[in-house]
Amino acid sequence: MQSETPLPDTLANLLGLDPSNPLVLFLVAVVASGVIASGLLALVAVSGIWGKRKITAAFTDRIAVNRHGPAGILIIPADALRLLSKELIIPEGVDRPAWDLGPLIMVFSALAGFAVIPMGNGIQIADPETGLAYVFAMASVASLGLVMAGYSSNNKYSFLGGLRAVAQNLAYEIPLILTGMSVALFAGTLRLSEIVAAQSTTLFSLGGLAIPSWYAFVNPFAFVLFMVANLAEVGRNPFDIPEAPTEIVAGWQTEYSSVYFVLAYLSEFIHIFLGGAIIATIFLGGPAGPVLPGIVWFLIKIVGIYLFTQWARSAIPRVRIDQLIEIGWKGLLVLAFANLLLTAGIVGVIA
Amino acid sequence: MSLEEPEPSTQLDVGVTDDGLDYDQIEALIDDYVIGRESHVNAEGFVIRPDDVQAVLSTLKTEAGFDFCSCVTAQEYQDRYESIYHLKKYDDPTQEVSVVVPSPRDDPHNQSGAEVFETADWHEREAYDLVGIEYDDHPDLRRILLPETWQGHPLSLDYNQDKPQIVPLREHANPLQDDKRSPSDPDTMFVNIGPHHPATHGVLHIKTALDGEQIADLEPDIGYLHRCEEQMCQQGTYRHQIMPYPDRWDYISAGLLNEWAYARAAEDLADIDVPEYAQVIRTMGAEMSRIAAHMLAVSTFALDINGDFTATFMYGIRDREVVQNLLEDLTGQRLMFNYFRLGGVAWDLPEPREEYFEKVRDFVDGLPEKLTEYHDLLTNNEILQMRTVDTGVLPPEDAKSYGATGPVARGSGIDYDLRRDDPYGYYDELDWDVVTEDGCDNFSRLLVRMREVEESAKIIEQCVDLLEDWPEDEREIQANVPRTLRPDPDREIYRAVEGAKGELGIYIRSDGTDKPARFKIRSPCFSNLHTLPTMSEGEYIPDMIASLGSLDIVLGEVDR
Repeated sequence: MQSETPLPDTLANLLGLDPSNPLVLFLVAVVASGVIASGLLALVAVSGIWGKRKITAAFTDRIAVNRHGPAGILIIPADALRLLSKELIIPEGVDRPAWDLGPLIMVFSALAGFAVIPMGNGIQIADPETGLAYVFAMASVASLGLVMAGYSSNNKYSFLGGLRAVAQNLAYEIPLILTGMSVALFAGTLRLSEIVAAQSTTLFSLGGLAIPSWYAFVNPFAFVLFMVANLAEVGRNPFDIPEAPTEIVAGWQTEYSSVYFVLAYLSEFIHIFLGGAIIATIFLGGPAGPVLPGIVWFLIKIVGIYLFTQWARSAIPRVRIDQLIEIGWKGLLVLAFANLLLTAGIVGVIA
Repeated sequence: MSLEEPEPSTQLDVGVTDDGLDYDQIEALIDDYVIGRESHVNAEGFVIRPDDVQAVLSTLKTEAGFDFCSCVTAQEYQDRYESIYHLKKYDDPTQEVSVVVPSPRDDPHNQSGAEVFETADWHEREAYDLVGIEYDDHPDLRRILLPETWQGHPLSLDYNQDKPQIVPLREHANPLQDDKRSPSDPDTMFVNIGPHHPATHGVLHIKTALDGEQIADLEPDIGYLHRCEEQMCQQGTYRHQIMPYPDRWDYISAGLLNEWAYARAAEDLADIDVPEYAQVIRTMGAEMSRIAAHMLAVSTFALDINGDFTATFMYGIRDREVVQNLLEDLTGQRLMFNYFRLGGVAWDLPEPREEYFEKVRDFVDGLPEKLTEYHDLLTNNEILQMRTVDTGVLPPEDAKSYGATGPVARGSGIDYDLRRDDPYGYYDELDWDVVTEDGCDNFSRLLVRMREVEESAKIIEQCVDLLEDWPEDEREIQANVPRTLRPDPDREIYRAVEGAKGELGIYIRSDGTDKPARFKIRSPCFSNLHTLPTMSEGEYIPDMIASLGSLDIVLGEVDR
């Protein structure tokens, strides 16, 4: 199933072009990115506009949208139209370029992260040697967007939200990356396709059922740590502090309306999916799975992680900002280091 | 400790006898100040000079044990202004005394009682705002319900209702200017929380100065929902026209409890006896209202703590719907019940009775399971405990001084519940307990409400048992009340019931007509909200939001 050639090269070959020509490669890469980005946006449209309502409704004992089309699915175009047709209100005194760029950065950083994710069936735009580092770097750029949005909005709630976002991301990015590093130690590489390949061996057999050596099974401790830190990274309960509607109205996104709100909303979901994609890739064997094609398995995994974030959002209370900082620096960071040392020890003994 | 002045307990019982208070002994205590006596229906009133308010109040508080300033009523007569301090004891609210302070009509002012009772601060501001009495030595005598620029005092006799009023927009603080509120700490940031904010539970404005994420200074700004309820009641006839208003004070399903406050005050004023059968129905309906109100309080508290996608809120609303339907069956309404009448209730239980009893029993029987679920979702959740235990602490002394009542007082360990301590309706015949928690924090207040739901269910169940066996020919739902009720002139009464939020009291003065001359509402939310600065200063913003949620205020009742 695994294709070693990245998607642009495949496309170029299909079109009968020479991928070694930089211009051709650039053009097909743009096309490939467009395909993947559109796919992601479609996924967000389904899960963000329709799925989220249905899921939250299921948790809260309601029905949610059910009038537009079968199971209310046509709410997606209706809502998209509604959101886009709203007036874009630009508050007085906002710091214009920064205020406009904030949401864009958030969306595009999250989208850019997908460039190196192997989604199965050869869908991977690039497979650089430093893939894992790249994807973490891209995921963190969003913090910059949050700060820009919070700082430039000329609104104190946004300001507080922006500051909270920075404090939160600092407290969680480090444990997140440290835990990711333990995976890199296991796999001995940062290249994502190789990390996926390293998980395809059989860990042990359970009554004829081969359990693959997914790192979630090899090191469940790291997996749990990563899942928790990821909740903070994507800003979902119990760590939705930068928005915290009951405290600071909507945090950094208070002043965004219309299209900018759509961008902010999009970025949240793409971020959740990027988090899911990272987890799927480094802990759940990427696109690996029986019977179904890789891309389907990959989607199932990231939607599963998305469901987990929605579950957390419906069920778990929010911690306070100081408690979050404490959990991050005094709890997760220590655990992440312990996990890293442990992994280093195990890898050292085995190797 | 030797530094503490020993206070013999006998002193605090001045005038306490087996058959009520001996007011002569109390008068002897403040003999130097008393210039006259008035007899109100609920208690004796001592008339004192305007400059002796502090001395009298503090003597009564420290030497006679009147530690609860329930209400301050201000009113204007043809020849004078008058402030009445309604004092009670938290230990026994049937021991009441009124301190009546007349002041001259041309220059109405008297000493402030805020030094003695913190709660008098807001009550006197309201009196100044609406009636126009000035309080000397008041810490902060400003308008509280009306805008600062309002001209005249609406409840004074010569107020011109047609006078145009101008309320300039500058009343709304500009959040973008004048950042540094506290000169001592230039790093504070001023932020308006409300009047439109997801967690203020209505149009409440909290002027907040932040030091980082912590609250340096906080001042609730109320009055956005002021609808002149007192004045409207003064313009309605006792018999029919006032009863619809109480539903609109605490409109979060506590309607029947509010109606009872008016019913109790007016019935005692006009010496109306309510048939026992009607009292049982009232008790049952009132407790249903309490359950509905507490369920909303608990679920919105979850909203404040968990965030706005929490399942707990919808669970609470779903289960509240059941009791809401029961109330609808009983009263024909879901929000503005208007079910009580002076001397009884509007109509008997819905037919077929068995079916209704069945529904009520189903609800009561299903409640423990639901509450277990809430406890799983809320009180047993470690994150929620982390958030609420030891935050928003309200020590009992402060709670008493601020006149906190209801679940807020009981969450601070104050064993005070009018249903037991000043019994009315059918409560004293039934078997139930007053719930208190000693934590004094947000968690305790949450717990008190959740446990009170169980107690209310117990009461409802017993009422259903009683009603089921009630002989058919004795089902009297209404006493014989004259069509036009004209209580004797110059009768004054202050009566309170245990509303969902605490002590809901009504002061009525009759003047011989069919409408009250003065109608004053003592709102529990008003006094409870006054405790917010004490709870929240120095705490984090989220804890302030949690404290606000745990106070469970309804702005309709705060602003009236």
